[in-house]
Amino acid sequence: MSSEPLLRVENLKTQFFTEEGTVRAVDGISFEVREGEIVGLVGESGAGKSVASMSIMGLVESPGEIVGGEITYKGETLFGLEEGPDGELRERDDMLSSEEIRTRIRGNEIAVIFQDPMESLNPVFTVGGQLREFIELNRGLPEDEARTEAIDMLREVGIPDPEERYDEYPHQFSGGMRQRVLIAMALACEPSLIIADEPTTALDVTVEGQILDLVDDLQEKYGTSFIWVTHDLGVVAEICDRVNVMYLGEIVEKAPVDDLFYDTKHPYTNALLNSIPRPDRTVTELEAIEGVMPEAISPPSGCRFHPRCPDAREVCKRAHPEAKTVADADGEPHQAACVKHDAFDAGYDQSSPLEGAAVDAGPAAVEEPESELTANPAGDDSGGEQRE
Amino acid sequence: MDEDSGYDSDDALLELDGVTKYFGQESGLLAGLEFEPNQFPPVNVNRETVKAVDDVSLEIQPGETLGLVGESGCGKSTLGRTILRLLEPTDGDIYFKGENLADLGGGELRRMRSDMQMIFQDPQSSLDPRMKVGQIIEEPMRAHDMLDDEGRRARAKELLEKVGLDPRHYNRHPHAFSGGQRQRINLARALSVDPDFVVCDEPVSALDVSIQAQVLNTMESLQEEFGLTYLFIAHDLSVIRHISDRVAVMYLGNIVELAEKEELFENPQHPYTRALLDSIPVPDPRENGVRGVLEGEVPSPVDPPSGCRFRTRCPRLIAPDTYDWSEEKWAQTRAFMRAVKRRSFEPMPAARIEAEFFDGDRPGGEAGSIIDEAIDLVASDGGGGGDGDDKSDRWATATDLLLESFAEQSICAHERPAYDLESEHGDGDHFAACHLHR
Repeated sequence: MSSEPLLRVENLKTQFFTEEGTVRAVDGISFEVREGEIVGLVGESGAGKSVASMSIMGLVESPGEIVGGEITYKGETLFGLEEGPDGELRERDDMLSSEEIRTRIRGNEIAVIFQDPMESLNPVFTVGGQLREFIELNRGLPEDEARTEAIDMLREVGIPDPEERYDEYPHQFSGGMRQRVLIAMALACEPSLIIADEPTTALDVTVEGQILDLVDDLQEKYGTSFIWVTHDLGVVAEICDRVNVMYLGEIVEKAPVDDLFYDTKHPYTNALLNSIPRPDRTVTELEAIEGVMPEAISPPSGCRFHPRCPDAREVCKRAHPEAKTVADADGEPHQAACVKHDAFDAGYDQSSPLEGAAVDAGPAAVEEPESELTANPAGDDSGGEQRE
Repeated sequence: MDEDSGYDSDDALLELDGVTKYFGQESGLLAGLEFEPNQFPPVNVNRETVKAVDDVSLEIQPGETLGLVGESGCGKSTLGRTILRLLEPTDGDIYFKGENLADLGGGELRRMRSDMQMIFQDPQSSLDPRMKVGQIIEEPMRAHDMLDDEGRRARAKELLEKVGLDPRHYNRHPHAFSGGQRQRINLARALSVDPDFVVCDEPVSALDVSIQAQVLNTMESLQEEFGLTYLFIAHDLSVIRHISDRVAVMYLGNIVELAEKEELFENPQHPYTRALLDSIPVPDPRENGVRGVLEGEVPSPVDPPSGCRFRTRCPRLIAPDTYDWSEEKWAQTRAFMRAVKRRSFEPMPAARIEAEFFDGDRPGGEAGSIIDEAIDLVASDGGGGGDGDDKSDRWATATDLLLESFAEQSICAHERPAYDLESEHGDGDHFAACHLHR
């Protein structure tokens, strides 16, 4: 609020250049992470949340490329472009080299925890050995000190009997234990920021609960900031301080967690909240969102959510809303990218409702055979050549 | 379909009686043979079995949805497959429409199978990528000799429409469809032979939330239209709460609680069910529940705990009658016993152990002297300070001592619990396998 945020992402654009065309996986998102807070990045698969987090780490690989925007971490530029003499975009001089990012930032300043702990650990080395090597490399400790440190970290994340288990292989650990090892690895260099990419999605609920507890405790102790990438609104409600909701490469709503759930401003967030079954009460009728998320290769015109939006009007097809502050949440801006709010002044109220939207978007519309067909990659009817 | 079986639709559609499924660790002539150099003869036949499903009895009424919920490895999928006889049960009887499936021969079983279908979790791998959607849906009909070519084709198209797909997609391959659409194809295939009973094994867990809701809604309307009975297997309690009429909770091969949905979620009577319900993150930031209430991990199904299988992690393990405890002292002893078993603390002086676990005031009497002995074994100033094997042995001795003196004396370790309770919500039966209700 007062000082410079820990991480600032501005207008980040990451695209993948494929044979079928350019996939705008992340299309101009901005957010910031302050010290000691957990920021949620929420969305369905294909929303671009993982690509966004990998872009921060500089881990986007060909054919993907960051094509625009600026990422600042603790006042240093992780990524930035400027216009060259002949109008070409080139990387700015103050941008850290990939060498610097590798040695100084990754692991030491920003660490990542991935969803699948089995893929992140090497099956042919012992768990302890991998953790020790990581500490040796990143902190420059001699082997025996790194070993002691590794055992301490394993104990810290709640692995019983860490000295014995130090010499075991990843397959001898359960899923929850492996995720604890990855958390130990992420914390080992006491980074200021941890990017957690769906870290509890593959775990059972009781184990997920244990891990969330652990993260809470560790965050209190070390004051680490987190970017928590997830599709699970339950987890968001449980641990996040502020939330960014992503849809098709864009952030559509940005708010403190309580306001997101109790003063929802974007129809997509609202639809998402209405479509989930609840563990705490019986919902008789689920209000499913119509259709599926379109491909990022050819996003819809105007507001990208308009083909599925129950509130869509004529204007939504044309006007592409940038997120604007639409409400004040105790001094925090509550932003949403939807023209139905007065802040946009796009003539939403005068615009006529879209056919097939608003009017009959009730639960009944869900059963329409067309509901999922819009995004069929095979295109129109070409597959049904023998139709009668 | 019911004419020839003499099945009365007032009875349960499916009845399981003590169904048990064990898996041998390996199969083959020399499987499980181990070399033991220090005995005679120097070989040992290892007959370890994984007790995946152990003595499960339940009934499913026609037209209802029974939710089966549990964590991974609890045996819920194995149970689903055993019911369909995709796996041969080790023991117990399965009655479908009053007929014992075990008594049926090959041909009869095959006929019965058209009444029982299954939908799998992964919509990608359960559809043959080289077949067209139409063929996929017609295949079960062909296997059961239903209709002629024309009829099958017409039915496949009709079903495509029923599950919310375009009948014109009859000639497409599965890869052209999204995950949600593929799961709809699976539904159409299962329904093609007009079954009465469908086992759905995690049908929506691979789907995004917004798609999940669409598929769940479709499944519900199909159930109504075709009068289907579902056994809905899932790990997600929210989905289970939405779709089920009654819910069974499984832990390590046993059903620990079974009740009507409202009753189970609002008035859970088994500590495991409570722990599960407490652990789910609720999509409401103003809900400040406890979580991570369960310690440790599920024990191996090769050698499950005696009596109640949940007792090794149960936060409400019953105090053994042998000693005279206050509630508080027993809770402290239980915590200490488990900490020693898991070695979750570092060796420290005896006084500190006592301070940490017992507030410096350990229980008196016989129990107290056992605890003293255990503390002495693991304390750094007692004898646990050594290193290597000696230290390991001491911890193991302490663990055995504590478990034998306390945990094994509890009623939870002696008897397998099974109690029928009064429901607070609704008038259905409420089964809870917990000795707290004795």
